[in-house]
Order: sequence, then structure tokens, then C-alpha cells
Amino acid sequence: MKAKDIMVPIQDYLSPDATVKKAVNLLRTAVQKEQKNRVMGLPVIDDDRKLVGMLSMTDILKAAYPAYMKMADLSEFTWDGMLESLARQEGNKKVKEIMTSPVITVQENNPLMECVDLLLKKHIRQMPVLNKAGNVVGMLSTRDIFCAVTQSMIENK
Amino acid sequence: MTQGVTEAAKQIVMGPAFWIATAIFIFAYALIVSEKIHKTIIALFGAVVMIVLGIVTQEDAFNSLELGVDWNVIFLLISMMVIINIMKPTGAFEYLAIKSAKIAKGRPVMILAIFSVVTAFVSAFLDNVTTVLLIAPVTLLICQALELDVVPFLITEALASNIGGTATLIGDPPNIMIASKAQLDFMAFIYHLTPVILVVLIAYIVSIKFMFGKQLVVKEELRQRVMAMNESEAIKDPVLLKKCLIVLAITITGFVLHGLLHLEPATVALFGAALLLLISGIKDPQHILAEAEWSSLFFFIGLFIIIGGVVKVGLIKWMAIEVLELTKGNLFGTSMVVLWFSAFASAFIDNIPYVATMNPLIIDMAKNLWPNLSGVQLLHHPDLMPMWWSLSLGACLGGNGTAIGASANVIVVGMAAKMGRPISFKKFMLYGMPLMIESVLISMIYIWLRYYVF
Repeated sequence: MKAKDIMVPIQDYLSPDATVKKAVNLLRTAVQKEQKNRVMGLPVIDDDRKLVGMLSMTDILKAAYPAYMKMADLSEFTWDGMLESLARQEGNKKVKEIMTSPVITVQENNPLMECVDLLLKKHIRQMPVLNKAGNVVGMLSTRDIFCAVTQSMIENK
Repeated sequence: MTQGVTEAAKQIVMGPAFWIATAIFIFAYALIVSEKIHKTIIALFGAVVMIVLGIVTQEDAFNSLELGVDWNVIFLLISMMVIINIMKPTGAFEYLAIKSAKIAKGRPVMILAIFSVVTAFVSAFLDNVTTVLLIAPVTLLICQALELDVVPFLITEALASNIGGTATLIGDPPNIMIASKAQLDFMAFIYHLTPVILVVLIAYIVSIKFMFGKQLVVKEELRQRVMAMNESEAIKDPVLLKKCLIVLAITITGFVLHGLLHLEPATVALFGAALLLLISGIKDPQHILAEAEWSSLFFFIGLFIIIGGVVKVGLIKWMAIEVLELTKGNLFGTSMVVLWFSAFASAFIDNIPYVATMNPLIIDMAKNLWPNLSGVQLLHHPDLMPMWWSLSLGACLGGNGTAIGASANVIVVGMAAKMGRPISFKKFMLYGMPLMIESVLISMIYIWLRYYVF
């Protein structure tokens, strides 16, 4: 099996200049719409149809999470409403300011082992699948690979 | 006197070795200032070229006290880094900062003042960058809680750490280097520098109150967020913390007594580091040792060898003679020049290579003035002592002048940018430069009164 056999074909994507607020709306509807293949994030594609980044739910939480929290153990000293108010401030930023870039991608003809190798080594949960022309054709997630791989496990039994 | 100087100048042979070493020195320093390539790489490369071209031998570089790597400095730095790396995860510094904010009752100007004192005090014993990296995250959290601008807090903490670091032998690398070259002990620094630093710190706190006081206003209900924080929750490992504090106390006592015990400061620090490794229960020391700032340490190693080269060929001696001619051998004038020149030089360039150059220069100056003396008699000549203190005060306090003057400044500017509140070079200087000039003025009056009037 190859990446293209199990990927979810691309449906939604974001523009790098869209506001985070708009991206959040899109992400929220995408989450509700795709019950089966729950998306965790969307590819960011510019006007030339080139992939420039990924914006995941984690990216949005990371943007609201202050740098100093990472530098020291301060979780005991936070207060109710802190994260919400920080998150609100992110709404007017642009997608390109908080997206993950560069993005780890796979080619549509890559075997699944190569996909898993990337997912595990780079600590990611999903990645865009590119065709030969370099355009995004789909998304591949841990969940997709899990389903595909465990299918054969059950059938062999 | 002038005749003696000319005599000494004649002894310098300006042959090929002189010019090659001078070229390596100037080229390396220019590249370090340009920041095009990492300074550690340049220092190491310059150093090894000095050895390859035979300006200094490897024996000189590795083993000579006069021309080689000052292992006293290197091991003192490594040991203090090891101690602090073990202490970091205990939560002691978070505790200290939260406690301070609560003592200030969440009032911003009080927080600014208390944080400055705490930062200065901690910096007097630990590396400045480490201190800022430990205190700043909590400061930023408290600014968030009080909905205050982070800029005044970050700038004042960096400046306070540079001021506090000047107070002791172990507070700032220039002092460590001066102490080693001039064979000055820990108590000499306490006796000669701590008093003036206390005055500088008081003046500093009064000044920052006027600079920032008006813009720092907090809503009453926000102060409750700070008062609700329970500082005791910061302590993650009370057992390890106790061990760390015991070792720190033993080490500082060791520093106080090292002159009497005839032990070098590096020996004292290494004892502390080894003791803490032993009792902390750490299974594999690899990650603690690896976390030492190897890049800075190799920067020192490279610089020492480069300086060794230009000392050996006589460049530093020539510079010392030029300085003496300029001040006509007037030692008060010379120490004032050293103070102010060091301050402005350190505001724009790294004070570590600067002090590495100035140390042998001052020794060469002394050799010219008192050719019959040697050893401690020469290094501790009563007329030379103010020169060492001027160098230390100038080089350490000068770092406050600009955003690039000290590593702690660079760190807080980076943090401010991450917080979405970038501090421009100009903005930093607007606060840093007047505060630096104030502190150097105080130092000038102090040196004049203490060493030349009374």
C-alpha cells in the first residue's frame, strides 16, 4: 500500500493571509463535518497552489501558550481565564504568523513504512500528501495508517 | 620616566612574528565584533592558527600561566555551571520570585525594586545570564497577571544582574579573569567592590522608579491574582534543594576563606560541584555536564591563546607603553581612562575579549613602572590596585549601556521580542545608557575618594 491509497483527499485548505479567526471557523466546521476522518489541521496553500505550511489545533493552542511557560515550571501559578484571554488575542493574527512551516510531507507513491517513519521520528500526527507536481492531494494521519495496517492484521487471523 | 618608557619600547622586536600575531588578533576581534561567524568558532580558529604558525607553542597554549589558557577561569565557570544546573529544577528561583512579588503586594514599582535587588543579589553569586533566565519567566507571568508592560521589567532585570555581578569575584566573567591574573582573592572584591556596588544599586533603584514609576499602574483586582499564588508550590524537590543550599553555603564559605586556605577559587568551586554531584543522587552526570555552556567555555579557551600570542610578541607591551605615554604616567589619570574607556568599550563590544586584552596590558604597564618588582608585589602594588578596580567596574557596568553590551541584555531583548514587545537598540540605550553613566560616575567618585583622596 502507498500513501495515496489510504490518504483522505484534500477538501479544505487555508490561505496564509487569512486571519486566525477565519481559520478557527474553518477548522471547527471541518472537525464537525468529517466525523469519520477527524481532521486535526489544515494545509496552508498560497495563490500559486503551493503548500507553505500547516495549521493544526495544536498550533493555535501553542500560539496562545506564552513562551515563558515553556521556560519554567509555572503551571501552579496560572489563573482561571488566562488561556482564554490569551487565545482571544490571537484571533486577529494571520495564519502565516502561527502556522507550522516548513511542513513535513510525503509523496503520494511512498510506501506506508516511509510514512510511519516520518510520523514517529518527527513526532507528528498527520501530514500532507503531495503529487509529482508538488501540489497537495490529500492528508495522511496516524489514524489512517492505523486502520490500514490493522486491517491486514485482522484478516490474516 | 618617559625615557624609561622609550627604553622598554626598544626591546620590542617588530619582526614577522609580531605582525602575524597582530594581524590574527585584529582580524579575529573584527570578525567577533561583526558577528558574521559565531565568536567561539573565530576564537578557536584564531587560537589554533597562532599555534600552527608557531607564534605560541602548544606547550605555551596549554600549560603556560602567562601565555596560555587560564584554567582557573575555565574550571571556576564549569563548576558554577554544574552547581546551578543541578539546582535549576528544584524550583528555588521560581519560589524566590513569586515570594518577592507577594512581599511587594503586587504593587508594580515595588515589584520592580524588589526584583532588581533579588536579581542583583543572585547575580553576585551566579552567572548573570543564568540568573536572568531563571527570574525572567516568573516576571513575565506576573506581568501577565497584572496586565503590565513587560519591557520595564525585562530591562531593569538585565541591568540589575550586570550591576550585582560586579560585586563579587564570581559574579561576572571579567571579575573571574581579573582575579586570576591579578591574584586577587574573593574578600578583596568584597572589600573593594561590594561597597560601591551597593551605592550604585541604591541609585539605580531610585532612578528606575523615576523612569518607569508613572507608566506602571495596576487595577486593584488584578493584584489578587498575584496574592493568590502559593509560592511553596514552586518547590519541586525539597530534598535536592536542601542539598543544593548546603553545598552553596559550603562553596561560598570556601570562597570567603580561599585566601586563608591557600586554595584557588576554581578549587573551591570544583569541590562544591563534585560534592553536589556526589550527594545529589544523580545516577549519570552526563546530561548535567553536557548542559554546561561549552560554547562560552571554548570562546574563553580560544581567546586566552590568541591573547597569549600577542603578549608573547610584545604587542600588548607596546600598547601598555602607548597608554602610559598618553597619560604621562599619571596613575590617577590612567585609572580614570581605564574606567571610562572600559565602560564605553564594553557597552559596544563583548567585555570578555576586552578584559582578556586589558589584563596583560595592565601587568605590562606595571612592569614598566616598577621594573624591579615581580609577583604579588608587582600585581598588588598600592598604586596599581585602583587600576584593577577601574577595569572591573568599567567593564562590568559598561555592559549596561546598550542592548548588546552584556549577554543578559541580549537575552531579555530576545524574550521581549518573543512576547510581542520588541525592544529596539535605541529604546534599550535610552534607558541603559543614562543608567550606565550614572553607575560609572558613582564608581569614578568612589575610586577618586577611596584611593586618591584618603
